[in-house]
Amino acid sequence: MTAIQVENISKSFGSTRAVDDVSFEVQPGEIFGLLGPNGAGKTTSLRIILDIFKPDTGLVQVLGGKMSEEKKNHIGYLPEERGLYQDIPVERCLNFMAQLKGLDKKVAEERIAKMLKTFDLYDERKKKVKELSKGMQQKAQLITTLVHEPQLIIIDEPFSALDPVNTQMVKDILLQERNKGKAVVMCTHQMAQVEQLCDRLVLINHGQVVLDGTLSDIRRKFASRDVLVLYDGDLPLNIPGVRQVVPHNGRRKLVLDETTTPHQVLKELVNTGVQLDDFEIAVPTLDEIFIKIVSGRDLENG
Amino acid sequence: MDKFWQIVKYEYTRHVFRKRFIFALLSLPLMLVFLLGITLLSGLLISDRSPVGYVDNSGILSDAVMTGNPKDPFEPGLSMIAYPSEAEAESALSSGKVQAFFVVPENYPANLNIPLHFSADPDDNMLMQVRDFIKTNLLRSRPIADLERIQAGTTFIQVSQDGSRQFAENEWYNLAIPILVAILFIVVIMTSGGYLLQAVVEEKENRTMEIIVTSVSPMQLMAGKIIGNISVGLTQLFIWLFFSGLAILVASRSIPFLSNIKLPLDYLVKNLLFILPAYVSVAAMMAALGATVTGSQEAQQVSGIFTLPIMMPLWFVAPILSNPNGPIAVFLSYFPLSAPITLALRMVFTTVTDLQWSIFFIIQVLFAVFMLWLAARAFRIGMLQYGKRIRLVDILRKEVRHV
Repeated sequence: MTAIQVENISKSFGSTRAVDDVSFEVQPGEIFGLLGPNGAGKTTSLRIILDIFKPDTGLVQVLGGKMSEEKKNHIGYLPEERGLYQDIPVERCLNFMAQLKGLDKKVAEERIAKMLKTFDLYDERKKKVKELSKGMQQKAQLITTLVHEPQLIIIDEPFSALDPVNTQMVKDILLQERNKGKAVVMCTHQMAQVEQLCDRLVLINHGQVVLDGTLSDIRRKFASRDVLVLYDGDLPLNIPGVRQVVPHNGRRKLVLDETTTPHQVLKELVNTGVQLDDFEIAVPTLDEIFIKIVSGRDLENG
Repeated sequence: MDKFWQIVKYEYTRHVFRKRFIFALLSLPLMLVFLLGITLLSGLLISDRSPVGYVDNSGILSDAVMTGNPKDPFEPGLSMIAYPSEAEAESALSSGKVQAFFVVPENYPANLNIPLHFSADPDDNMLMQVRDFIKTNLLRSRPIADLERIQAGTTFIQVSQDGSRQFAENEWYNLAIPILVAILFIVVIMTSGGYLLQAVVEEKENRTMEIIVTSVSPMQLMAGKIIGNISVGLTQLFIWLFFSGLAILVASRSIPFLSNIKLPLDYLVKNLLFILPAYVSVAAMMAALGATVTGSQEAQQVSGIFTLPIMMPLWFVAPILSNPNGPIAVFLSYFPLSAPITLALRMVFTTVTDLQWSIFFIIQVLFAVFMLWLAARAFRIGMLQYGKRIRLVDILRKEVRHV
């Protein structure tokens, strides 16, 4: 059963086309990255998936069919802008949210107590939500997202306001959920987290999908004909097939011409007696790919 | 428990167990106690309770029977002291033993003029006590029944054309209390409508709504909020009515006229029935308003506009009371927001036939249904439009179904 199937959805607000013919699918047991710059249409796409908005055109299937009230009990959603009742105690707020997800009162109380301990919030449970720090509120919000053990978890910027320790804890939890067979959709601007967590991703820009696939496929697609080298001594002045040598994060980046392969350069360097400590193909980071696509420019080349 | 009822329960307990609600609940009885206290205090301070002297030259007050109840908080009875001569009475007045004295002439009651000598202006209570004293003693030879009957005088009963409603002119409280109850309804509606408005605006502002609608449908959320808040208002109303009834029951032992208070049953039932759709209309309007405005400040400003038509009958209270079947009264009865108070006022003074009442009631119910429908659309379109005001035309457009 596909967790999410989005087929050619479009949505306009007045004259603004927020989502334009977007398609993708998410499978159980994967962490799926939904990326894009601010205003790209990510949140609108998520709201369409969650049935908060109806698409103008296109089809959405969630957990094997159309969205229903019953299916809402199997979805956990963490929106970008957090939304907990501020004026009531944390424990009461979380219990109410959990019961709205169909949990029995007793079960909800047991699970909330357990999760409050896991998230180191148990001692704060009687405080009003507004008395918690931003990071604590973020953890409380995560509890409401996960407490009903959803099959589909949709999280928008899950790491905002979290310190490194809590960031690692949330990452571990997301990986655990994936390993349990849950589908996780994650929106974030933190590309380092996407690289560490996501199995597949789509990149949306101006309401359209501009990139999709597995992380390794995307990197390979954007891999340049450049190599990174670390060595002792000096490089020969002229290396056949190398147009330019530029410093790159403590290494040297060799920019190859159209006809030369990395393998040929490696062979040449070895033959000329260069003492190589490291030699690798210059794969772009997700950050670089993101900026390149969104701004339409190559960072290295200005 | 069904999610709808979860929301109703949450909304109800959220308000009912808050300090703000407890204060609102106590505010009315405390205000009444305060007003009653001020009235009693002013009565005690203003009314002079020192005795009144008299010189009886006619003989009608020999072996006089005392009248009035000294413990009556509103009209305390005064002691009457007989003096054999005006000189002695004058001396008692000068020494402050009495607050005034009167002289019954020899040829009383042929001569009805009774001179009253005083040091400070006599108050109403003193004059009334003196009149009762003279009247009672003048008639003391008559049987008690006759005496009471003559003292009571004549009361005109105002009877409506079909005879279904009537009020005695000396039972003013039976006119005032239904009006007070109607105003109470409005206070409750506006108070709990205000709670609802604030709740919706807050949830929209802090994005709670976005989380909730991934668990329940927007319709369930809106309906749950409306019913929850209406229940809060009704709780407030019933507690006030219950304790008012209890207070009247207890106080009627020492304040006799309170035991005469009676509210016509059909008046109560019809107004209670009428108030429910009116309540739903206002609550739906508040929910719609909360979902479509940009913030709590704007919500407060706009909600004031809704208050105007509800309170409008109070501005026109004089023409409505003087001509309860006139064009203003009838027009305001047809208009849903002004109908509850208008009818509450009219039904005290005139007969609103069952047919007329049914028409007004149906209009009220239809308006409530329309407002719920409008609120559901406004809620759906407005709940996630942060920082942007939604216009009525946006809500009514067909495309709303796509939002």
